[in-house]
Amino acid sequence: MSIANTAHSVVEPLPGTRRLAGSLVVLYAVITMIPLVWIVLTSFKSPDDAISYPPKVVFTPSLEGFCNLFTTRSRQTPEFIRTLGPPQGLCDEIARGRNMVVAGPSNYVPRFVNSLIIAFGSTVLAVALGTLSAYGFSRFRVPLKDDLLFFILSTRMMPPIAVAIPIYLMYRAIGLSDTRLGMILLYTSVNVSLAVWLLKGFIDEIPREYEEAAMIDGYTRFQAFVKVVLPQATTGIAATAIFCLIFAWNEYAFAVLLTSGNAQTAPPFIPIIIGEGGQDWPAVAAGTTLFLVPIVVFTVLLRKHLLRGITFGAVRK
Amino acid sequence: MSLDAHTRMPGRSFADRILRRGPLEAIATTIIAAGVVMLMQPFFLTLYSWSFATTLFGTVMFIIVSKVRE
Amino acid sequence: MNDLSASSRITYGAVPVQPAVVRRIRGLSDKALAWLFITPTMVLLLAINIFPLVWTIYLSFTNYRANRANAPVKWLGIDWYQTILTDPDIWAAMQVTAHFVFWTVVIETVLGFGLAFLIDKKFRGHGVWTTIILLPMMLSPAVVGNFWTFLYQPQIGLFNYVVAFLTGRPASSFQMLGDVTLSPWAIVIVDAWMWTPYVMLICLAGLRSIPDYIYEAAEVDRASKWRQFWSITLPMALPFIMLAVLFRGIENFKMFDMVNLLTGGGPGSTTEVASITLKRAAFESWRTGYSSAFAIILFVTVFGLANIYVKALNRVKSR
Repeated sequence: MSIANTAHSVVEPLPGTRRLAGSLVVLYAVITMIPLVWIVLTSFKSPDDAISYPPKVVFTPSLEGFCNLFTTRSRQTPEFIRTLGPPQGLCDEIARGRNMVVAGPSNYVPRFVNSLIIAFGSTVLAVALGTLSAYGFSRFRVPLKDDLLFFILSTRMMPPIAVAIPIYLMYRAIGLSDTRLGMILLYTSVNVSLAVWLLKGFIDEIPREYEEAAMIDGYTRFQAFVKVVLPQATTGIAATAIFCLIFAWNEYAFAVLLTSGNAQTAPPFIPIIIGEGGQDWPAVAAGTTLFLVPIVVFTVLLRKHLLRGITFGAVRK
Repeated sequence: MSLDAHTRMPGRSFADRILRRGPLEAIATTIIAAGVVMLMQPFFLTLYSWSFATTLFGTVMFIIVSKVRE
Repeated sequence: MNDLSASSRITYGAVPVQPAVVRRIRGLSDKALAWLFITPTMVLLLAINIFPLVWTIYLSFTNYRANRANAPVKWLGIDWYQTILTDPDIWAAMQVTAHFVFWTVVIETVLGFGLAFLIDKKFRGHGVWTTIILLPMMLSPAVVGNFWTFLYQPQIGLFNYVVAFLTGRPASSFQMLGDVTLSPWAIVIVDAWMWTPYVMLICLAGLRSIPDYIYEAAEVDRASKWRQFWSITLPMALPFIMLAVLFRGIENFKMFDMVNLLTGGGPGSTTEVASITLKRAAFESWRTGYSSAFAIILFVTVFGLANIYVKALNRVKSR
């Protein structure tokens, strides 16, 4: 934007200032990226490289971390391994190099799938409910509107552990503990508040005249909502959906307290990946890397709407 | 909102000036903040003991006051 | 999203697939439609948030224990509240929380505002670098906490290596997570790393909301850059800074996930922030009544702050 701007007004910073500001920001960005880059690098290291001192920046890439993430292995004697046929696949080959054989798949994939199902399920529900409510709040006179909106927002601010105590008892009583449905409902209720506030902001920006024109053309209010407002709000709905998705994807407190097996998501699972003799850091790093990739993609997609999302739609740039 | 608090009509009584939303909300906000500070300060156990009551009072006051005429 | 576009397809054609439903909705007045749109959300929030909250309030007056669900429940009145609010151990947990909240908010505000100020100079490529800086705050706090334990390892961790490299102290001479004096700072560092971008983004919006003509007028008056910063930039950005400070304050007051994975409250209870104390009481010693009372205390505090937060939000909105 500013690069082509050669006409210097008094408020334009001097080129020198700009360069200094730029280099400081780049310095910060580089430092802040080091931990992330380090995790990605670690996921491609062999266990020995991962725990070497001084830390290795140059190393021979290995897929052992990913193999250990996806499989469980059992230790065998070399004699027994020699009696087996040729190794089945790359992971088996790596395992045999360490006197082990692949015993079966690990729990990572089911946990990852749980994360996907719960995140998408709650997002779809939250956005659907949120769109309806946001339209209601945006266009109609609702008694106690401000109080209801505050009530909706305050539910998101509750401390998760405080909410988890009664939810735990409630789910135990009605048989929703450790079920995907239970987690979907819980995440929906947390996300719907964000969805209502964000979408209300987006729908407020759509001129009422559009619907009024449609209604003069003979549409009912509901038809106008579906055929005029929804298409106009697509960007907003998509941005909101990504925010909900990220929240549900990242959530840990509820997941660790309310799920144990069936419905456990990836965040409580990744820290408990352990290998022989302590934590298997390359496998943990591999799990982390795979888990973070979608978030990086979403952040890039969402960069223009981030500000809205983190201020509940109040700041629109 | 903050602008409203300063546009005072001349000749209004003291009660009229104080019993408006702006100042009352400011008082409630201060009480809540005081309660939170009391909860986490490291100096007096007594203040800690009364923090919850203070925050609760401030919050209830805030909710009531936000219904007072502008 | 999908089911909404599906329903739009249903009513789009000349012959609706579900004529009865559509006709019924068509005939609704605006008022009925408003309630029809809002009620589902309200019902969900009532069932999953308000009903449990009321239940927690009830439990906080009893000696109920979740691991002995069939034992007779005794009404205790405000006994638990008195116990908690006079307990020096809980008070200590609140001070640990205070240390964490205070320092994270201070560091994040200073760094975040500084970064926003620099980015606002609109140097070449600031968009790309801003996106890169924003990444940490989008990540899962639990996963972040977990991978920082790796960076903090005394023998093999990158953090200790870098500190050793810069200061000359041997890397294994200190443990960020195992040391009583260092571990409260270890969690502050990770939180600052993660959430400085958040403050930066809001401050940036504040700086960009200041119209150019104010600076132009100040230039005409020959006000120095230093003077302009203190009398224009900072006051005009202040509502935004307040918003960020309040939100980070609330979030870190109830911080659980990251700290739980980094230190789990240890060593001893030096990093045992309020949420971890609560989790231990509720899900490890199963003192449900007691922990409900503690939960209500935390909840009221957050709720009070949330009121102030929404006020700050509305002030920023009117800009």
